[in-house]
Amino acid sequence: MIKIENLHASINGKEILKGLDLEVKAGEVHAIMGPNGAGKSTLAAVLAGREDYEITAGSVTFLGKDLLDLPTEDRAREGLFLAFQYPVEIPGVSNVNFLRTALNEKRAYHNQEPISAKDFMALVREKSALVELDAKLASRAVNEGFSGGEKKRNEIFQMAMLDPKLAVLDETDSGLDIDALRIVSQGVNALKSPENASIVITHYQRLLDYIIPDVVHVLYDGKIVKSGPKELALELEERGYDWIKESL
Amino acid sequence: METIVSNKLQQFVVGLDPTQLPVPHTLQLMAQNHLLAKDFPTTKSERFKYTRLAKLANAQMSNSLLLEKGQLSQHKILTDAYTVYINNKQIILPTDLPSGLQIKLNTEDPDAFHEASFYDVFGALNILYAQNGISIRVANNCTLDKPIQIVQVNSGGKYFYRHHFNFGENAEAAVYIVTKSTIDSNSFAHTHFQYDIAQSARIKVYKIQDCCAGHFDFHEDRAIQNATSHFEINTLTLDGSFVRNDTMVAVKGEHAQTYLNGAYWLKEEQHVANYTTIDHQVAHCESFETYKGVAADRSTAVFNGKVFVRKDAQKTNAYQSNSNVLLSDNASVNSKPELEIYADDVKCSHGSTTGQLDENALFYLRARGLSAATAKTLLLQAFMEDVLTYVKQDEALAYVHQRIADRFSWKY
Ligand SMILES: Nc1ncnc2c1ncn2[C@@H]1O[C@H](COP(=O)(O)OP(=O)(O)OP(=O)(O)O)[C@@H](O)[C@H]1O
Ligand SMILES: [Mg+2]
Repeated sequence: MIKIENLHASINGKEILKGLDLEVKAGEVHAIMGPNGAGKSTLAAVLAGREDYEITAGSVTFLGKDLLDLPTEDRAREGLFLAFQYPVEIPGVSNVNFLRTALNEKRAYHNQEPISAKDFMALVREKSALVELDAKLASRAVNEGFSGGEKKRNEIFQMAMLDPKLAVLDETDSGLDIDALRIVSQGVNALKSPENASIVITHYQRLLDYIIPDVVHVLYDGKIVKSGPKELALELEERGYDWIKESL
Repeated sequence: METIVSNKLQQFVVGLDPTQLPVPHTLQLMAQNHLLAKDFPTTKSERFKYTRLAKLANAQMSNSLLLEKGQLSQHKILTDAYTVYINNKQIILPTDLPSGLQIKLNTEDPDAFHEASFYDVFGALNILYAQNGISIRVANNCTLDKPIQIVQVNSGGKYFYRHHFNFGENAEAAVYIVTKSTIDSNSFAHTHFQYDIAQSARIKVYKIQDCCAGHFDFHEDRAIQNATSHFEINTLTLDGSFVRNDTMVAVKGEHAQTYLNGAYWLKEEQHVANYTTIDHQVAHCESFETYKGVAADRSTAVFNGKVFVRKDAQKTNAYQSNSNVLLSDNASVNSKPELEIYADDVKCSHGSTTGQLDENALFYLRARGLSAATAKTLLLQAFMEDVLTYVKQDEALAYVHQRIADRFSWKY
């Protein structure tokens, strides 16, 4: 699905990713944990194509294509989805209108006909029910005035609508209450299939009770420094990161 | 009356006949005094700091063509309205007016003329050279069933017009002022609008400015509002390479509400200047002013918003904002709020922003698969949309959307 090799990225001359390697295969769920400032969101932003970052070395292959060569929108159309740690509020742009445009631009990219208004509305109903997102929120301006938890649900709703191959969830669990956590996890699990994969960035092993990872990685100082089975998350929760830093 | 002006101004008025309209004599004297020893303003003068008039001074106007009614009616925007057509020297008035609405040539209603302030040489020239105009009266307690539509089609030449509106007590009306021009004509028009708004009248004016590149479009609005009246001017500038709006509202009665809204979509070499003045003379009034624009290519926009709150105007609530998005490094906006507050118990706020589109929002939309162009368009439309929400008439809104779509390839 995706293969990241020796990725180096910097912003304003400061190197943040310092030779990161990661491979995720179809059907897998990988969790990335790591202390604040380690570079987790940077990795997500670089994968999505944020232009503020300079890639100084390394490569990313996504479904056989050179990901770093594609503009942001084409990465999305190829099937990459980033659920933002901080979803952006966009006053005046309606959630469903923009999703319909996004869906149709993706379909045009794959030489498919635009979705009919009827099918689109049916899809909106089905997917908003999946994450129990209020239908009113679905049609409001993108994230404007949404609570923290509603923004996160809206991310998963959009993910469900766009049906990506690889989803990168950047701390989608933070700011969610227990019920919302369960609902959002169900949403993610419902989309799981042998053909797609997810990378779940989180600070809490709690999420991993709901979304069972195949591999847990520790990202520290711009690199993956440790990988292990899901039990590694429990160990991190108990012992923190110091023992890992010391072992380096 | 003999008027002594110099140089370029003198050349500018060559061929124009002094006004035959019953403009008050004192006003004519003031205009003459204003023009004494004056020339075309330069960028040294405060009100023309960002406006280069050389283009106008040097422009050769094309011969003025008289259009037939059939040609003129193609320029209307509303199908169902009391429509006046103005083209060069001719004015075509509507027939079959309802009781309570009177539309005449201004010469047939000399009582409508009174003194009105002017701030620049063009205002003074209008007083001295206005050829004609209309007078519209809406009677007390009359609610018009249809809007009034004034369609001015410019097709060469230089014209000064003076229009008067008298809205009676508790009258309610919507007025659409559409300025257009024939393709490729070079023309100049300076139009003075005077609005006398009696107590409790509710009046909404929509200006739709959509002229070609060779036309110079100057508007001067002077409104007087009485107690508990509601007055709105929405100025939508869709096209025209040189547009200047000078709007002044004197609020003279308590509990009046004033709305001045403006929107401009600029590209290429367009220059659009909006000068506004709201003069709060009495207590307990509110004014809301929102101007928004986008400027692409080498276009320039000017916004100058004056708000006076006089000593007696306690409990005034005045809100003003001007926001702009620049779409090119060569476009520019000069935005200047000017608040002069002499009362102590008032709420006044103003804000002015000029910038680029929000990068985070652009990235977010693109990360969902929208092309950069589509994402930009969505954000720009959203940015401008709140000014358009004032346009409640479907045909007018459809026209505005269509013209923006034509010029900027935005999809509505
Ligand atoms: N524009 C910038 N200029 C300089 N440094 C930056 C910039 N943006 C981010 N950084 C730095 O990059 C580092 C990594 O940030 P990143 O957001 O990727 O961390 P993170 O692992 O997601 O942390 P958290 O767990 O707090 O979300 C931080 O030290 C941050 O301060
Ligand atoms: Mg982060």
